[in-house]
Amino acid sequence: MKNSLSSRLLVYLVISMLIILFSMGVVLVISLKLQEVADRRFKDEQYFQQLQNQLTELQSPLNTYLTSYSSSALSKLLFISETLHESIPENRPITSRNSDLIKREIYFLIDAYLDRLSEVIEQKRGRKVQQYVQNYDDLLTMYSYINREINTVSLLGFRVQLEVYRNFLDFFRKLQLYGLLQIILATALSFSLLMRLVGTFAGPMAQLSALAGKLSAGEFSIPDIHLSSVNEVNQVAEAFNQMKHNIHRYIEELQEKKEFERQVMEEKVRNLRMEQVLKRMELYTMQAQMNPHFLFNTLNTGVQLAIVEDADKTAEFMEKLAALFRYNIKDKQFFVPLQHELMGLEIYFSILKIRFPKTLRLVLDIEEEIADQYDCPAMVLQPLVENSVLHAFKRKEGKGTVQVSVSYEEPVLVLSVRDDGQGIPPEIVRALLTPHTHDYSISSHVMGLENVIQRCYFFYPEQKDVISINSELGRGTEIVIRINTEVEPCIKL
Amino acid sequence: MVFTDTNLKLYYAEVNKILKSITILSGLAFLFFLLLSVRMLIQTPFVTKEGFSKVEEREFHYALFLPVTNQSFFQRLREGALDAAAAKNCAVTFHSIYEDPDSLSMVQYSGFNGIGLYLYENDKKTMDLLKTIQDKGIPIVQIESEIIQGPATFLIGTNNFNVGKGIGKLALQTGFDSLNMVLVYSRKNPGVYSDATLIEMGIKNVLKEKLSMLRREATSLNPLDAERIVYDILKNDPSVDVLVLTDPNDTLVAVQAIIDLNLVGKVQIIGFGDQELIKTYIDKGLILGSIVRNPYRIGYSAVMALYELSTNSYTSSFVDTGITLLRRDRQ
Repeated sequence: MKNSLSSRLLVYLVISMLIILFSMGVVLVISLKLQEVADRRFKDEQYFQQLQNQLTELQSPLNTYLTSYSSSALSKLLFISETLHESIPENRPITSRNSDLIKREIYFLIDAYLDRLSEVIEQKRGRKVQQYVQNYDDLLTMYSYINREINTVSLLGFRVQLEVYRNFLDFFRKLQLYGLLQIILATALSFSLLMRLVGTFAGPMAQLSALAGKLSAGEFSIPDIHLSSVNEVNQVAEAFNQMKHNIHRYIEELQEKKEFERQVMEEKVRNLRMEQVLKRMELYTMQAQMNPHFLFNTLNTGVQLAIVEDADKTAEFMEKLAALFRYNIKDKQFFVPLQHELMGLEIYFSILKIRFPKTLRLVLDIEEEIADQYDCPAMVLQPLVENSVLHAFKRKEGKGTVQVSVSYEEPVLVLSVRDDGQGIPPEIVRALLTPHTHDYSISSHVMGLENVIQRCYFFYPEQKDVISINSELGRGTEIVIRINTEVEPCIKL
Repeated sequence: MVFTDTNLKLYYAEVNKILKSITILSGLAFLFFLLLSVRMLIQTPFVTKEGFSKVEEREFHYALFLPVTNQSFFQRLREGALDAAAAKNCAVTFHSIYEDPDSLSMVQYSGFNGIGLYLYENDKKTMDLLKTIQDKGIPIVQIESEIIQGPATFLIGTNNFNVGKGIGKLALQTGFDSLNMVLVYSRKNPGVYSDATLIEMGIKNVLKEKLSMLRREATSLNPLDAERIVYDILKNDPSVDVLVLTDPNDTLVAVQAIIDLNLVGKVQIIGFGDQELIKTYIDKGLILGSIVRNPYRIGYSAVMALYELSTNSYTSSFVDTGITLLRRDRQ
């Protein structure tokens, strides 16, 4: 509660009021004090004026008494003289001040005057005419002298007081000026104190406002605000920090959820695409199998016809061809044992030898021990050989050679088909080796070499060197498939 | 105006700094003026009950009765008296016999512890008054002139015989074989006038046969009276070749008259006093020389004598305060 806005406001107001009241009080007290002082300064003059009046009052009853023995005049005379005697001080110190010395003289003179007055009264009673007449003259002289002395001291006092009064006015003006300055400064002090109080919460509130603006703009990285202001503002700041943290957390949770949903969606899309690819491949395989089945049946019919007609060579050719078809449609797995792939290739080689007995030389270079150990994608070697047979020797005269090599270079299984044909232009090589990273769709046109290349890329998307073409125009082409036996293909059925 | 968070902090920090400065400055200034007011109020003589200056209590009260009080000689005398009073913790007041003749008659009633008198007239009334004062036990110290004489009288001042000798010495400087001298006394310097005979004895003592003529004149209190007298003397008696003035003002007026009469050098002037103009005239040869008494020492010695009488009941019956001769070759 001590640091609350209301209590601090109350304290500041009380302090401000006290300061202003104090300064005004000081000015008031000073003014009153100085008025009192000014009043006191003239009391001396009033006192001597009173003495002079009493002396003057004495003259009339003195005359009356001396001329008529009036008892009333005598009593009045005695009363005034007694009053006068009592009114003058007994203590008459000698001081360095001239006016005090004259006053002292006056007191002594009044004493002497009153003594002489008593003598005159006694002499009057005693009928000592000559003496009281002489003393009366002395009394008149003394009265006159005392009056002059009082006038002198009054004039002196007045002159001194005039000077003093002038100094007093200067002094009073200076004090009033200081008083005014004090009030102005006290007001400034109070105002600055109040403004500082206002500043203790106006500044933090403005900071809070600025940070709230940033927060509303989505800037959650702003640091916590820690204020040392009044309790109310500090509490607002704490609440603001709490609110900022809560909003930040909620936003993060929403973003995480959104990210998760996005990933799920991407996974779904990827799965859908995979499924589509698989379905297309399956369709392709089925399509590819449809014709061979028909052709296989037809070929079997032809074999039977050739046997009936005793055409042995035709019968043999067609039998091999039928065997090849059988191999091709035997199953629809993507990966087959290398042995199986090589068997199909041998059947194909025997057909090619019947077709091109003089113009084609086929070489099969296989490390027998590895044929049973590894698998390879189905139908990769035959299309490569077929590609060489169909395109490599179009403009070649003489005998062409196609060599198929299978080797194992730990841990890579290397399948190579090399011909000494006309070679493939580099731009075609580049086009062929471009992976179809987009939606891979197998069209009915994609056959042979491109089919094999894209399937290799499909099965091993992370291995960019899974297939390579080394071709030199006029000298031949070598197509090498490098299967890392330690890497699982992305799909294996 | 758009504030960033940093700008806001800086802005409010700056505002806070300014407000803090205002608070401190106004607070300090307020305290300063408050303390100044309180200090002024405490220190001011208006607030003290006794008055506007500190009043010191003194032991004795003496009164000096002087012919006039506004001439430089008596002003210096007053200064000496006041300094002596301050030194001995006494108070002294001054009264003008001429301005207030009753003042002397009131001495017996006024509570003085002693009086100093600068008188030169020994009329009966004054003598009776002084006797009454003496009878009342109030010590009297006479200044410059000894009007009343007796075992209980005291004199403070210049030995006027010596003054006469000084005048004679200065007159010798004229080189004249025969001196026709006129002594112009002054009511403004009654102490000298009252001892005219003693002065003249001193002159004669020095000049002897060289003094062919010695005449006596006197000026009034009128400051210009000397001019009239000098004119009269020189017109009526051209043989006068030395004029002796016994008042500084008369000296200056006489010099002007000599210049006007074109008698510079022919008539030599012996003056009184040590005013700057008199010194200048001496340097220019317009004045032969000047007799300088020591009024400060006179006033001082008078109060010291009164103090001794108050405390020891006795003092020296005569204190010579001495003279100085101012000449052209005084350096």
